[in-house]
Amino acid sequence: MTVSPIGREIDRVDGPLKVTGSAPYAADYRPEGLVYAYLVQATVGRGTVRGMDVSRAEAAPGVIAVFTPFHPLPLKSPSGESGENYSALQDTAVRFRGQIIGLVVADTFERARDAAALVSADYTVTPSRTSLADAGPGVPQGLVQKLAPGVSSIDAALASSPVTITTSVSQHAHHHIAMEPHATTAVWVDDQLTVYCGAQSPQRAAATIAARLGVEPAKVRLICRYTGGGFGQRSPVWNEALLCAAAARALRRPVKLVLSREQVFTAIGHRAAVRQTIRLGAEADGRLRALSHDSDGELPAAGGWQMMPGRDTSAVAYRTPNIRIDQRLVTLDTPPTWSMRAPAEAPGMFALETAMDELAVRTGVDPVELRLRNYATEDPVEGHPFSSKYLDECYRVGAERFGWSRRTALPRSQTDGDWLIGMGMASALYPAWRQPASARARFRDDGRVAVASATSDVGTGAFTMLAVVGADELGLPVSSIAAEVGDSALPPGGVGAYGSSVTTSTVPAVQAACRAAVKALVQSAVDNPRSPFAGLAPATVRYRQGRIEANGRSVDFRTLLRTMGVPHVEAVSTSAPDKSASQYKFHCFGAHFCEVRVHRLTGEPRVNRFTSVFDVGRVVNAKAARGQLTGAIIWGIGHALLEADPIEPDGRFAAASMADYLVPVHADTPEIDVHWLDRPDPHISEFGARGLGEIGLVSSAAAIGNAVFNATGIRVHDLPITIDKLL
Amino acid sequence: MRLNVTVNGEPRQAEDVWPGESLLYVLRERLGLPGSKNACEQGECGSCTVYLDGTPVCACLVAAGQAEGREVRTVEGLAEGEALDRVQQSFVDAGAVQCGFCTPGLVVAAHDLLARVPEPTDPEIREALAGNLCRCTGYEKILDAVRLAARR
Amino acid sequence: MREYRFERPGTVTEAVRRSGSDTAYLAGGTTLVDLMKLEVMTPGRVLDINRLPLRGLDATGGGLRIGALERMTDVAADPRVRLGYPMLSQALELSASGQLRNMASIGGNLLQRTRCGYFRDVSMPCNKRQPGSGCPAIRGENRMHAVLGTSDSCVATHPSDLAVALAALDARVQLQGRDGVRTVNLCDFYLLPADTPHLEHDLRPGELVTGVIVPRLDWAQRSIYLKIRDRQSYEFALSSAAVAIRREGDTIVEARVAVGGMGTRPWRLPAVERALAGRPATSNTYAAAATATVDGTRPLRHNAFKPELMQRTLIRALLELEQTR
Repeated sequence: MTVSPIGREIDRVDGPLKVTGSAPYAADYRPEGLVYAYLVQATVGRGTVRGMDVSRAEAAPGVIAVFTPFHPLPLKSPSGESGENYSALQDTAVRFRGQIIGLVVADTFERARDAAALVSADYTVTPSRTSLADAGPGVPQGLVQKLAPGVSSIDAALASSPVTITTSVSQHAHHHIAMEPHATTAVWVDDQLTVYCGAQSPQRAAATIAARLGVEPAKVRLICRYTGGGFGQRSPVWNEALLCAAAARALRRPVKLVLSREQVFTAIGHRAAVRQTIRLGAEADGRLRALSHDSDGELPAAGGWQMMPGRDTSAVAYRTPNIRIDQRLVTLDTPPTWSMRAPAEAPGMFALETAMDELAVRTGVDPVELRLRNYATEDPVEGHPFSSKYLDECYRVGAERFGWSRRTALPRSQTDGDWLIGMGMASALYPAWRQPASARARFRDDGRVAVASATSDVGTGAFTMLAVVGADELGLPVSSIAAEVGDSALPPGGVGAYGSSVTTSTVPAVQAACRAAVKALVQSAVDNPRSPFAGLAPATVRYRQGRIEANGRSVDFRTLLRTMGVPHVEAVSTSAPDKSASQYKFHCFGAHFCEVRVHRLTGEPRVNRFTSVFDVGRVVNAKAARGQLTGAIIWGIGHALLEADPIEPDGRFAAASMADYLVPVHADTPEIDVHWLDRPDPHISEFGARGLGEIGLVSSAAAIGNAVFNATGIRVHDLPITIDKLL
Repeated sequence: MRLNVTVNGEPRQAEDVWPGESLLYVLRERLGLPGSKNACEQGECGSCTVYLDGTPVCACLVAAGQAEGREVRTVEGLAEGEALDRVQQSFVDAGAVQCGFCTPGLVVAAHDLLARVPEPTDPEIREALAGNLCRCTGYEKILDAVRLAARR
Repeated sequence: MREYRFERPGTVTEAVRRSGSDTAYLAGGTTLVDLMKLEVMTPGRVLDINRLPLRGLDATGGGLRIGALERMTDVAADPRVRLGYPMLSQALELSASGQLRNMASIGGNLLQRTRCGYFRDVSMPCNKRQPGSGCPAIRGENRMHAVLGTSDSCVATHPSDLAVALAALDARVQLQGRDGVRTVNLCDFYLLPADTPHLEHDLRPGELVTGVIVPRLDWAQRSIYLKIRDRQSYEFALSSAAVAIRREGDTIVEARVAVGGMGTRPWRLPAVERALAGRPATSNTYAAAATATVDGTRPLRHNAFKPELMQRTLIRALLELEQTR
């Protein structure tokens, strides 16, 4: 009897390839005749390229071509997509500092890089708008408001509240820092293009490339079996990959374009800078009467992702009769923005949970108790019940595991030698999202079952998820499943690896495909004249753990396929959410508890330990889940304490390198106790998984900030919380 | 120029190498060993860590000319035949691999740590691997993997 | 990277003879290769000196002589350094990552260039890189920049941890040039930017750092290098202090104090040393002495906290040193 692998600690099926360096990433391909490209980027913040001198570059050793707005590679304009709203090299406008204004191709990478440095450009410069603070309130984009009967405005509701809190927070641009810099290897064979390029949604990316190059969608195949991190920045296709494919077409030979780390900071989107103000009105016992969340988010003129930090956070988190979410966008001449892991939820919940901590301090109510007093069982704005919510249990279990009762509410009251010790907590939530998805299951005559879906494993564990779910459904060991993702040529309907939605959406599709493949196998067994089951009624034949059985005979599918002379039998299935789902609000929940230390003299804030408890529905693979949740919590350390890229008046990012933009290192890692409640969501799917790739990041920064306040009595509103703010 | 270098125990020659190319570039683009990864090119991330004459270095900052006549061992050269090295196996077992891009460099760095310090303390592990950035795992499972490998 | 000729001189004399205005010496490569990729440095010829006989750590006759090509890792681990001059060992270990310490040489460490982001970005003006072009750091993002020794031309922080500890130890730098060998005090070896920030060292054309001499200082056994940074590990100093104390009973007899992350060069603080000498080893003494650090500081918009942080770093270093017996 095979034990179900669901929820167990399953090793990654792609692990052995990755630890031996044999998993090929986009830059690891070396097709015959390969040449190398390098970008030239604008060095002014806004204006026009008047002219470019490429003569020195063209004369440099090994140079094959230099493309500029004056000698462009043809690309179509983007249509109706979010993200960059222009195609590179098609005009002379400079929209931001770092915009691509040239592409140099040479026989080696170093020669291309050097030649790129020899290209000079002459600009007409116009002043840049880069400061979110100076640009003032932005254009309202998403107003959410619900007022109790008889209440005239949110201001009136706040004014009549016995206790009010106003908290303004800000954060600079953030960068994804996926370990793999953006890379593309483009190969044309006749009119067929194969692009090796990390992508979160291979089919959507292939379609975009086809559209922008002006070729039939069927002519483009994108392969991204192994991708060195996504976090949002690989969900669209950026101009660099399009230029690489276009250069390969123009030069009739394979081209590889690998961005330098510094180029990734500007050529690829970042998380928008955002300023937020939370206003809370409450009773003396902490019960909320009113919640107002205003935000001004950076929206580049060159296009980008809209920063809406209140919609899925403050509008959902707590029970309150009056609520107003005003999300404004400020147009700036900055590099494009894009979604970055918990894109709006991380900043939004930092603001809200900081304000809630201030309310706890003001009212003297314990922070956990304050949240329980404002516990929402339904969507506070629209009134839909949550499909499944055990956040109260997260608080309880988390507080117990962490030892929350040992916390003292008074700041600066706990020390360890010269270190001030503080504890803080925050609650987390993240929308759960199930998309229609498709998958293919294929019984093969080598004795394995290939389970495929055209999604992407950007480190998340999608390969292993397919293997685990396929194995469970088919009663086979995980090792008998060959998982396939990361190829646009797989059956249509793979979902993108974003919105923590791959598992939620794909598990039902895999289950359906496996069931359909079993049915097809049985049908084949009764139809095929060489089959020992030929002529039987399908209903009398059954599939069990890889074997076909009837009339006392039992044959494994490998033998059956070989006997029948059929290499494989397969089925493709699509699965979509039920219509009944629309009556529920689907969210994941969690509670973070954190202990920090801050040196009493030199002010370094360091995280000692984290306990986080999550309610994310059913978990497929405990090992992968723990990795995702832990990794995301560490992102919270970056969010709270390290990560920031200020933009200068001329549009230059001040910290555009790995030495200047700090992300956590091993030594920053605290003890992390990650736990989840195993409660399948009964409404999202039969399986009940709700997705967990991002929720770990939501509010972990707030828990740290709240703990820093508890340690020091200092509330830092402008992230990151650094030494200079704690002296 | 022609570069002579011993890679994973085998004498190799790369032709037409320009001395300014990095050892990483030569390994990846000229010798067909893409296991070592290029992620920052300035020694900030450790993804390109290889042994040079038995010492772990960032291959991105070694000029090709510097490697002439020396011995290089990459992530591709750690396993004995089909069996994974204990560090590699421990990374798989502990769940220390996610996107896998930092993994080759981390495996080499951890391999070196355990060769020098068979039973490292947690602070020793954290500090020894501080030059290897990972954006996925949160590092916790990497620490577990090194502890596990030390026990094997 | 700009194409260059790669040469491997066989002797120090030959290296010095071959060196010219368009050459760069290549040791560990962690600075040079990095800056050549960015085209901040574009030498026409690179002289690989790694096989020259400039290794060795010698402790005969008291003090230390460290060959310029010794690697940071090896020097940090040497028991004579670890026990006799803990601040040196600590400064090395708190620098960079293990991989970089395995590569980087002592001579190269002393000559490493600033991490100022404007210096490293060839699309920006920088008086150090391109004399007369201007200094965007003075009005720009300057949280990490210097508050001591700055000028209207340059506010770039000196990046070396090792040099701070060596400054406290009165170290000397051995040089070999076309006109023979000479030795200069490490503190004099580093030039203030003034209006010539492109001139960083007292190095004559072709001159090569061949070694570092650390004079014997028995009481350096009781020394510390404390480094304060935003990230727990693997980052340049926001602030650092190298401190050695000679005590008799509860009285401080002599002190050596230098700070990093503050100056355009490693910064020795004789006023603080004087303020400590002859006083009881108490936190009051430390706090009073630390106030002497702020003389002459010139804070910028984003680093106004640095003088305060410097005082606190120093006090903490003195307190932590007290606890190491």
